[in-house]
Parts: sequence; C-alpha cells; structure tokens
Amino acid sequence: MSRPGPAAARADAVTASLERAADHFVGRFTAMASPCEVLVDTDDRALALELTRVAEREARRVERKFSRYRSDNLLHRINHSGGSPVRLDAETALLIDYAATCHEVSGGMFDITSGVLRRVWRFDGGDRVPAPDAVREVLRHVGWHRVTWDSPTLTLPEGMEIDLGGVGKEYAVDRAAGLLAARTDAACLVNFGGDLFASGARRGDHPWSVGLDDPESTGRALRGGFEFTRGGLATSGDARRFVLWQGRRLGHILDPRTGWPVEGAPRSVTVLGPTCLEAGSLSTLACLQGPNARGFLEQQGVEFRIL
Amino acid sequence: MTRSERRILHAVLLLAVSGLASGCAATAVRPWDRDLLAQKKMRLVPNPMVDAVDQHIYFSKEGSTGGMDVGGGGCGCN
Amino acid sequence: MQLTAASHPSALRARLGAAACLLLASGMPGAARADAGAGNQLDATTLLYAERNRTNVVEPAARLTHTFADGQSLSAQFEYDVITGASPSGGSPSGTPQTTTSASGTVKTVSAGQVPLKDFKDSRYAADLEWQKPFLRSFLSTLGGHFSREKDYQSAGLNGKLSIDLMQRLTTLTLGGGVNRDRVFPVGGIPAGLSDGTAPPGPAARSKDVTTAMVGLSRVVTRRWLVGLNATRTLERGYLTEPYKILSLLDGTTGLITGQRTEDRPERRDRTSLLGSSVYHLTDDVLYLSYRWYRDDWRIRSHTIDARYRHELGNDDYLEPHLRLYSQTAAEFYRFSLVDGTPLPRYASADYRIGALQSVTVGATYGFRVPGHPGEWTVRAEYIGQFGKGHPADAIGVQRDFDLFPQTDTGSLVVGYSIGF
Repeated sequence: MSRPGPAAARADAVTASLERAADHFVGRFTAMASPCEVLVDTDDRALALELTRVAEREARRVERKFSRYRSDNLLHRINHSGGSPVRLDAETALLIDYAATCHEVSGGMFDITSGVLRRVWRFDGGDRVPAPDAVREVLRHVGWHRVTWDSPTLTLPEGMEIDLGGVGKEYAVDRAAGLLAARTDAACLVNFGGDLFASGARRGDHPWSVGLDDPESTGRALRGGFEFTRGGLATSGDARRFVLWQGRRLGHILDPRTGWPVEGAPRSVTVLGPTCLEAGSLSTLACLQGPNARGFLEQQGVEFRIL
Repeated sequence: MTRSERRILHAVLLLAVSGLASGCAATAVRPWDRDLLAQKKMRLVPNPMVDAVDQHIYFSKEGSTGGMDVGGGGCGCN
Repeated sequence: MQLTAASHPSALRARLGAAACLLLASGMPGAARADAGAGNQLDATTLLYAERNRTNVVEPAARLTHTFADGQSLSAQFEYDVITGASPSGGSPSGTPQTTTSASGTVKTVSAGQVPLKDFKDSRYAADLEWQKPFLRSFLSTLGGHFSREKDYQSAGLNGKLSIDLMQRLTTLTLGGGVNRDRVFPVGGIPAGLSDGTAPPGPAARSKDVTTAMVGLSRVVTRRWLVGLNATRTLERGYLTEPYKILSLLDGTTGLITGQRTEDRPERRDRTSLLGSSVYHLTDDVLYLSYRWYRDDWRIRSHTIDARYRHELGNDDYLEPHLRLYSQTAAEFYRFSLVDGTPLPRYASADYRIGALQSVTVGATYGFRVPGHPGEWTVRAEYIGQFGKGHPADAIGVQRDFDLFPQTDTGSLVVGYSIGF
C-alpha cells in the first residue's frame, strides 16, 4: 500500500466497472493505490458485477483498517501509542501473528517495524544515500524483538512504527477471494495490483493464464507466465525503485538488521503458492536472500520465476 | 508361496512403494490444486456402503476375501 | 526463467501455511482451506438378490454418521438380512430321485441328474460402530466394532486404522488391523469330520478367530489421477468347516451314490491379497479400475479385475456401467465326491465355492437426484454368472453324464439413498 492518490478521497465509494472478455467478465476498480481486477468465469453479467463489488468493498475495508496513511484507524493508534499497550481485535491480532511468523522463519529479515527506514532512504533512481550515522540513528527504532507482542496486546516502544504494507495487499486478495468463493461456484481470479489468487479451473477445465510483466519494459511487454487452476501469485523485486551508488544498483528492499538495501536481489521474482499471503511472503523472503533467491526458492519446493 | 512367486511379489511391492513414495516430479501436483480430487466420486472407494454389499455378496459366492478394508465381520455364508 | 516442480514441504513453508490458514479461516464462511464443518449423514441401501433356483436375499441397511466441528466423527450402521432358498449340499447328482433332509425340517425334492440342494431360511442382523478422529493435521485414526448374529452363527470384532498424510497430503499411508471372534452353532451340533452320521453328536458350538493386518498406500499422481495399493494378510484359526455340507460316496465303477460323508477342512487358513486401484478423472467422467491378486494356504489363487465408468449425464445424474471378471483355482482338498472303498483323505470338501470357478459380473448403476428433494439416489442392477468345469476328466461312471458344476445365474438390485443434514 503506497502513497495514496485521488483514490483515497473516494475511499468509500464503490466505483467498479465491468467489461466483457471472450469468455469471462473483468471487473475493474482502484484500491490500495493500485489497479484492481476481478475476473469471473461466467456468462452472468449481474453475478460478475456483484462479485466485483464484493471484492471492492473488501479491498477498501482492509485498506481502511490497515493503511498507515489514515489517522482514524487502529494502526494509527498503535503507531501513536507512545509505548502504551494496545489491545487488538481478532483480525488484527491474527495478521500480527502472521507477520511475527514471517519474522521468525526469515531469521529477522522480514520485519514490519522496518518502515521507518524510509525516513532516510529515497529510492528515486538518484544517487543519494544516507550517512551511516543517520542509518544507525533510525535503526534504533527498528526491530520486532523490541516489540512486546502478547496476543491480543501489542506494546510498541516510542518512536517505532508498524507498517503492514508487506502483507496487507496479499491479505486483501485472499480475503476477497474467500468471500467470492462463499457466494459462487464460478471460477474467479482476484488481482490487486499484481498480487492475485485464482479459485479454480475455468469452464471446460481450462487453467488461468497469467503473464509476467517484463521488468525491462514494464507495463509494455511480457516475459513468460504461469498456467494454473488454483493458488496465489505474487511478485517482488527491485526493478522499479532503486538508487545508483558507486556504480552499484541498490534496490528498495532493505535489510532491517543493517538498515541497508539487500544487494544482488532479483529484479523480479514471482512465486506460486497456496494462498496469495504465502506467495507474497515467499517472494519477499526470496528477495531478502539477495543473490541466493533462486537457491532459497528451490529449497522451499515452490514454483517460481526469476527474471 | 513358491520362491519365484515370492520374488515377484517382493519386486512388485518394492516398485510400487518406491513409485508411490517418491516425488514423481514430472507430474507434480500442487498440493492445494485439488479441485477435482475434492469431489466425493474421486476416492478409491467412492461408495463405501454399496462396496460393503458387494464384499458380502462375493464373500458368500467365492473363495477370496475383500482385500480393501479391515472392518466388518464374518457370516455363516462361506 | 526457472520452473521448479513442487516436491518436498519445508518447515518454513509449513509454518507460513499454518499461520496463513489461521488468519484466513477466521470469520470466513467456507474459507480457502476449511474442511467440512459439523453435520450428519444418512446412507441407506436395500439389496434384492436372487440366484436362479437357489438363494434369495433381502437385505436393508442404514448408516448414520455424525461429524463434530473438530473433524471427529461417530457412525452407527445396522443391517438385517433375510435369506431363503436352497444351496448346494455338496452331494453329487444321482441316477435316481433323491431327497435331502434339511436342518430346518423342510425337504426339497430334486430330480435325478441335478446337483442336490439343501433348503434353508435364515435371518441375520448386524451392527457396526465406528469412531474417527483426525489429529496433528496429518493423522486420522479409526476405531470400529462389529457384531452380527444369525441362527447358527455369530461374529464379534474390533478393528482399527491409522492414516498418515505424507508429502503435503499427496500420499497417504494407512495401517490397519482387526480381530474377529466368530462362533458357529449349527442345528444338531458340530458334526465330526468326514463322518457318515453315525458318530456321537459333537460339541454344540465351536469358534473361529480371524486376525487381519492391512497396509495401504494411496497417491495423487496428477490433478486427475489417484492410485492406491493395498496389501492384506488374514489369519484364520479354529473351526473353518461347513457343518451342513457333505460329499457323496460314489461306487468306484458305476458312479452311483452309495452314501455320504460330512466335509472336513483344515483348522487354519492364511490368506494374502494385493489390490491395486486407480481412479482417473476425464473431462467430466471418471474411470475406476482395479486388480486384486489373492492367494491362501489352501492353495486357492484368484484374480479379480474390476472396471467401472461413471458417465455424467448433466444435472447431477450419472450412469455407471460395471464389469467384473473373476477367476479362482480350487482348494487343495476340493473334490467333487469321494470314492467308496478308498481310504478317506485328511481333508475334503465339495463346496463349489472353493472349487475352480470363473465369474462374470455385468451391470450398471444409475445415480440421480429428485429435483426439489434433497438427497442422492442410486439404483444398481447387476447380473453375476458363475461357471466351473462341469465335466471333469475324472468323473466316474454315470457322473460323466451330469453337469457337476452347473452355471449359476444371479440377479441383484441395490437401491441406495444418501442425505446430509
């Protein structure tokens, strides 16, 4: 969930548009600052529109609840709690549990408290890097181990922040897909800004076909793809946001233990997983391995593409 | 059991066990890709009650026993 | 670009998966990974079975299963059979009309040249209980009990199974075992083996112990193909003889009947069977194939091939034709008759069911739902033909003119109904 645009102003409006493709419908809307699509394998226009609206409402709900740009949600209260314990609701608690598990299985490299590093890093393709002292100063406010998490009570030390951007979009995809599955047997594919989930084979037992965006000419060309009937797909990589420093390309994926970008991370890694959450976590974890991304994913025994 | 029969039996079992237990990577199924396999008709014994009726019928007409399950009991019919 | 097939689960993936499951399953109806919740299921079947000129059976059965929210389930099944008609006594066809006496007091007159039959009428009831419990995400344990009783036979047993999911649930290993204690209490008591009826009456009852062990492996090969392999070993100890069946004593030259003897079978039987099965899902239809190899230490060997093709007719109805081919060799001590004047063998039986025989089953099932009414119906009609060598080379005298193993034709109808509630 990146910087909000005009969409935030219309946060509560349902703006879905519906388009008819060869053998399915495509519902579109904007949420979490990303173009979102809901593909429904049906000939029932009313159903496709209804499902798109359901997905849009859920996307907005998750965004409202977990966006760090709002001042009226639980996350804002957590990030401004001044070190006092905050009691979380069941859904937020489970999401924090999930993030904590990611932190643990990654040996500390996946860390939802690392967002504050954006104060010193600007990934605009330029060549400015922060001074080591500045990084050290910000690092004092980074580290999940400093947080007291005793479900459902979270105590965040003063000066630290929680950023759920690393799991929020994937979570929204899985939630929306679940709501659609409860309403219809028609195969659906929910795609929020490139993080997606497909719920089953299309009619005639055909798989969904998802193309991979070519990082070299993003938005204009494809390089290969996935064919699958059910599962989540997510892509991570530093193809777009980076700085050039001393001839080295430093991506925007930061190692929370050093405060510096992970070097040698792949331009683009796409992982197929049982849910969008898991696909997203595995692709992020792969990027955090830097040059060992491929080896890491092979060890996990998942299908992936590295471009 | 004769020696050659025993050898054949062991070979079949070994082949089957290794085949079934190995990864069979070429035709790997994503474990969550069970849309078809989740259906009731996609089971080795899709209708256990009718299968039990059959077991009873053939047990009373022939000299062999089921080979599929451990449940159920005997009857005076064989 | 790299495509890597999914193979082994990793601890990392397992933990992520568990955490994602908890997160997504909460507060979600029919969540991505949720299994079926609590509920009940009723399955009922009725069998109508008729062998031409022989046995008729009517057997209704019903099973009720309750599944709890945590996945545990408890089920109870009851069945009741009524068996009437006549079955071969084991005696040989005679040159003169022959009557038989039957334990239930009725007498069936059989014309000369035909295999003699013995009349009977019996009813049997059976009850089964089963408890299943999934635990630790990959295990399923099953415990069951059985009790059945008819006029002259009783069976009680316990069985248990453990299923283990391996490799992200693509492979399932099942280990099972069961013990049964049966009791036989024939009318008139247990006859002495190979006796001519003049021996003093034996004990009123004898028992038979059956122990079964099973190992099964099932594997998801592709998204549409499931295969399984089962190995079963059964050990039987105790009274394994048929108390009502006899063998005719024949004159060594003419083949005419001079008397009869009761049969006698060993007190142990070890059986081994291997069953390979496959379920393959085409576009809509499903093909079921299985082959069973069987052998026991009575020297019976059999092969069974079973094929079914479930053809979907649309709107949830289906038609499933069925073909089963079966062939077995005779037990070591099986014989058509005994020869008067020759020494008696240790064991002998003329029960056609442990002789060399072939059997063909042809039938079809029609499955349907009644629109507007809940539940699924199945109606299955089948023909079973059983054949054996009716004119063996060693038939004596007048027996050469008779068909010693007449073909039996059987028709069966099974009506089934299932409903969840």
